[in-house]
Amino acid sequence: MNRGPFIFLGVFLFLSLTWTLVINKAIQQTGNLSPAYDESQGGVLPRGIVGAAAQGKIVYQELGCIACHTQQVRVATGSDIDRGWGARQSVARDYIDDQPALIGTIRLGPDLTNVGQRRPDDQWHLLHFYNPQITSKGTNMPAFPFLFEVREIVGEASDRGLDLPEEFAVAEGYEVVPTRKAEALVAYMKSLKTDYDLEEAPKSNEAMSEELTIALENAN
Amino acid sequence: MSLIGNICSSICHQNLDGDEKNREAQRAIDASIRFPALSIIKASMVWMLVATVFGLIASIKLHTPGFLGDCSFLTYGKVEPIFWNVLVYGWLFNAGLACAVFILARLGGKPLDNSLFLTIVSAAWNTAVVVGTIGILVGDQLPYRLLEFPAYASLILFVSFLGIGLWCLLAFRARAYRSTYASQWWILAALFSFAWIYSGAQIMLVGSPAQGAFQALANAWYVENVFGLLIAPLGLATIYYLIPKTLGVTVVGYRYTNIAFWTWILCASIAGAAKLVNGPIPVWVASTGVIAAFCLIFPTTVFGIQFLSSLFKRFSAIWDSASARFLFAGALLFLTTMVFKIFGALRMSQDVVQFSVFDAGVSQLAYFGFAGLVFSGAGYFILQRLLNKEIPSSTLVDLQFWTQLMGVIVVAIGLISGGIQQGDLMNGSTADMLAVVNTMRSSYFLTSMGLSLFLIGAIASNVTFFWMLLSSRSEKEASSSLIEEAPELEYTAS
Repeated sequence: MNRGPFIFLGVFLFLSLTWTLVINKAIQQTGNLSPAYDESQGGVLPRGIVGAAAQGKIVYQELGCIACHTQQVRVATGSDIDRGWGARQSVARDYIDDQPALIGTIRLGPDLTNVGQRRPDDQWHLLHFYNPQITSKGTNMPAFPFLFEVREIVGEASDRGLDLPEEFAVAEGYEVVPTRKAEALVAYMKSLKTDYDLEEAPKSNEAMSEELTIALENAN
Repeated sequence: MSLIGNICSSICHQNLDGDEKNREAQRAIDASIRFPALSIIKASMVWMLVATVFGLIASIKLHTPGFLGDCSFLTYGKVEPIFWNVLVYGWLFNAGLACAVFILARLGGKPLDNSLFLTIVSAAWNTAVVVGTIGILVGDQLPYRLLEFPAYASLILFVSFLGIGLWCLLAFRARAYRSTYASQWWILAALFSFAWIYSGAQIMLVGSPAQGAFQALANAWYVENVFGLLIAPLGLATIYYLIPKTLGVTVVGYRYTNIAFWTWILCASIAGAAKLVNGPIPVWVASTGVIAAFCLIFPTTVFGIQFLSSLFKRFSAIWDSASARFLFAGALLFLTTMVFKIFGALRMSQDVVQFSVFDAGVSQLAYFGFAGLVFSGAGYFILQRLLNKEIPSSTLVDLQFWTQLMGVIVVAIGLISGGIQQGDLMNGSTADMLAVVNTMRSSYFLTSMGLSLFLIGAIASNVTFFWMLLSSRSEKEASSSLIEEAPELEYTAS
């Protein structure tokens, strides 16, 4: 161990070995997936994020929402399915359009894989971003007032203005209007839904046993 | 055996003939690295404050979400990544680098050249950290943990790291003593692997990104390696160097170091995959990670036996020296961290703690506790020698030691026990998320308290450092060398 090159080669060898056999092997094995095609479920799956939702994804990344929210559903452990966070396991194919991937590692707040299905209402999201205490009292999610504009009502009030409850209302004659960033973020939230099935994706244990029962009955 | 002989003769101080000459040689070595080493320590001190302040802000935001909430650049999602990046690349990397530079110079036994080059590249590194932090503040952050710095910052970071690595390599090559000591292996390993993991992760995530789910894998691999192959090796190098230096004992069971070294490198390099159990990647990958993480129990046991036996050999001496005290606490926290890391990676633990704050707690224990305390202790050891000044106030050092130790323990209790509680509710029941948030409130309060304590220590440490740096030498300090130490301890045959 008295020679630098020996240590260098050893470290290099070990790192390359584990990297090649695990990380690179995994990427080669399942890291080049193409979208699935299923006519009955509306064509190409996953559907991809486009338009305003794609802009919203940039806002999500910029504000670091990933510091508290994951976007993955587990079936084997945890209570993700029971909580209604999703209907099936998230699999690699769900993320092939996700660049950069926002899978996340920590849940200080709920998982957002299917938030678009759970919360289809624009107004709910806008209120939630303006001040989460309006929609989820007691949460520790920060408010994002800087995504909104408080402005004087000149003439007719904007149709996009927030419908604030009384204790959060702004001064008389003023209104709270979402900026483009807030609108985009809402579009992104609403686009987050795994409302399609993939062959390889395990569903909940109950769903799988039901399918199995049906398959067995058909076989008989 | 010659090592033991050397140590014995050094403890007994019977014959100090020629010591003065050796001390002269050492002072020449110290002088050759004084400027870059001091500038690196200076940077690490400032980053320590910045990291703790950002950590505290992030922690306060978790129980009082309105705190500093009105401006877009201080939202939790930005403060939190800044905290981790500044902690690792700002404070701990600089502190570890200062130790590495000092150890390479002293163990090499020869004054080193190119100190200006090292100053420039380390300044470039710190510039990159500043640029990256600003990048996150203005919203350019990438969504990868510990790689949040935007591409323009990470490019400067990597290029300046290559410079730092090159300098250290040249310093190692220029050594006068051909035999090497464990500290040198760890330093070399840290430098080689960081170049590898950083470029690898950047290529897999930014250069030619892997497909969706595999970015999570690449990121988990990188995050765990930042600890296992960068910060921990630098910390271990420091412990191996300081145990004989501060206590005058050899490292017990030193000859088992190389096997522990290689098993650590092998297992740590893939342990990160364990974080992805039940995720959208092939099951065997996560399982390999779990196995690797568990295999870390082998090197950890060796380190545990070595460090604890060595430290307990002269337990009374630990409290006489500031450095030894920090070292002792740091070594204990290292072992505690590893217990949590090893057993926390098992599937049965992950079923409970996955996605909770448990991981953050273990990481803070590792970074603030193990690395932070060890590097602080080494910092005092190095500063006294580089400046030939005494520590101006032992009260401040005591204050730093106790507040930082207590702070880390309080943070760890808050986040680790809180994480288990959180995971239990979140993964084991269908309790409302708001109820989960509410039960976590006390944990977040504890974390804020712990970080406030740590901040007091950080301020004390900064005061000590700048006081020492700026004060003029007393008569005694100016007239003689304060350091009477055994030159035999400078190098050891392995």
